[in-house]
Amino acid sequence: MAQPVVQTIPRDPALFYWILLPITVVMILTGVLRHYASILLQTAPKKQTLPQMRQTRSLLRGVNLRTNSHAISPSSFATRRNYLVTAFKDGTFLAEPENRGKPRPNPMTDPAAMEGMMGMMKGNVAMMVPQTLIMGWINAFFSGFVIMRLPFPLTPQFKAMLQSGVGTRDLDVRWVSSLSWYFLTLFGLQPVYNFILGSNNAANQMTQQMAQAQVGAGMMGPEQDPDKLFMSEAENLEVVEHYYILDGVEERLLSKLT
Amino acid sequence: MSIDLLQPPTHVPPSTALRISQQAPTILRNTSGFRLPYPLSLFVSTESQELWTTQENLFLACLRTGDDKSALHCLEKLTERFGGQNERIMALRGLYHEATAENSKALEEVLEGYVETLEENPTNMPIRKRTAALLKSLGRPAEAIQTLVALLDSSPTDAEAWSEMAELYTSQGQYYQAIYCLEEVLLIMPNAWSVHARLGEILFRSCSNLAGGNGDLLKTLSESMRRFCRSIELCENYLRGYYGLKLSTKKLLDVYPKSSKQSQAVSDPATGDLAPPTLRSIQRLHELATGKLGEMVRRGSVGERGWNDYDEAELIAARELLDRDTQPIER
Repeated sequence: MAQPVVQTIPRDPALFYWILLPITVVMILTGVLRHYASILLQTAPKKQTLPQMRQTRSLLRGVNLRTNSHAISPSSFATRRNYLVTAFKDGTFLAEPENRGKPRPNPMTDPAAMEGMMGMMKGNVAMMVPQTLIMGWINAFFSGFVIMRLPFPLTPQFKAMLQSGVGTRDLDVRWVSSLSWYFLTLFGLQPVYNFILGSNNAANQMTQQMAQAQVGAGMMGPEQDPDKLFMSEAENLEVVEHYYILDGVEERLLSKLT
Repeated sequence: MSIDLLQPPTHVPPSTALRISQQAPTILRNTSGFRLPYPLSLFVSTESQELWTTQENLFLACLRTGDDKSALHCLEKLTERFGGQNERIMALRGLYHEATAENSKALEEVLEGYVETLEENPTNMPIRKRTAALLKSLGRPAEAIQTLVALLDSSPTDAEAWSEMAELYTSQGQYYQAIYCLEEVLLIMPNAWSVHARLGEILFRSCSNLAGGNGDLLKTLSESMRRFCRSIELCENYLRGYYGLKLSTKKLLDVYPKSSKQSQAVSDPATGDLAPPTLRSIQRLHELATGKLGEMVRRGSVGERGWNDYDEAELIAARELLDRDTQPIER
């Protein structure tokens, strides 16, 4: 069997200086820029008012009582359960007791919700705009260049990833096109940013997107009717089957330690 | 050094605090560092989370040891970074003013400042806590309790405030309320062994003014004993837990024979409270606690590896408790 022919492509060293380096430097600079832009665009999280804080934390107290009920004695648990269930059902902890029973207003008309969405929009724009610009720039100037050869072999599946912009079927997968180099840097520069900007930077778009997804999840939560949340928590509390962690603890301890 | 500085300040013993604050000038000089000129400084960020934790702990250690000058320096740095309106910074500033107050009149002024801040922004939890702490140190526990009650009404998931309130109630001798507060703490942090032990201690103390029949006494004592058992179960070699276990089992053994006739009546399935433990297991637990305490005192006082973290005062107390037991035999 003949050895597979090792493809050699003579490359102008200028490719390295005028394509590989510029793309890398530009990517790093955009990352840094994005970091500072997102710091500038950040809006301070809106302060909760005291009744709102009371509402969320009282609900949390109910959840705590339900999940950790084993830590307290049955009689203490019964007292607390009676108190909380009654209070939850009466809506004692509601931030806006007068809104009880009314349907929630449309989030689109609620100015507070709009503000949150604006914040998300700003973050998205700060990510999308530079990304589009750079992609266009690379496409316009550097498309179709093969700029480097990876020092290790790869399976053909990587072809689409590494050689986008170069329409050659038989080219060895180890050759990387300029557009692909852009993608590689886009996803792989996080350690570099960590090094120059500190670990909690906002330079990488992937982490940004993940953080945004979490924020989105957090934002959707309070949109629910707090009264309904309290009601369902009261129901959950009512059906808790209580056991006491101190039941038989002395035997457990004795069998463990002697 | 840096490890000491990253620990929460409540866990730092006085000797370490002193050592930290003596190094304060060096640390302050090192961390102030130099920064690159403006455009270049954008590319380098030397800031880390640890830096500010260090500054805060250094600030607290300096205040504890009376190095007010370094403390002010730390505070200024923190204010520069986070702004004077940051709630935490406001609390630290208040702490500084409290510590440097000359007389009780100055303290009153600080208190008034807190009240004004809270009127502007009632959600400022750190300042609320400072208010309660200041009232406590001014010797007005009733008002401190009121402040905490108001705080806990709006934020009932604050374990720190609950346990502080428990301490205040204990100092007032209101054990029932203290027990309630500690149970709340346990609902938030069910595996906090120190809270289990503390609850056991307060239950034990509440026995002394139980005027009710033997049944109540037995019930409270066994509850207390079980709390200590749980704390040991969660944290082996917990000296306070064993100390309490020994005390409570000893007292239970004293009480037990008298009430053995009523033991059936005490185990009440209606309220679901637990039956008192058997005499045999109490005796065994007592033996176990005595043996363990002896081991801890022996190894701890020598400073054996892995056993040298015990508090000096606790070791002395444990030794004293053991001695109290052995004296009658020696005679």
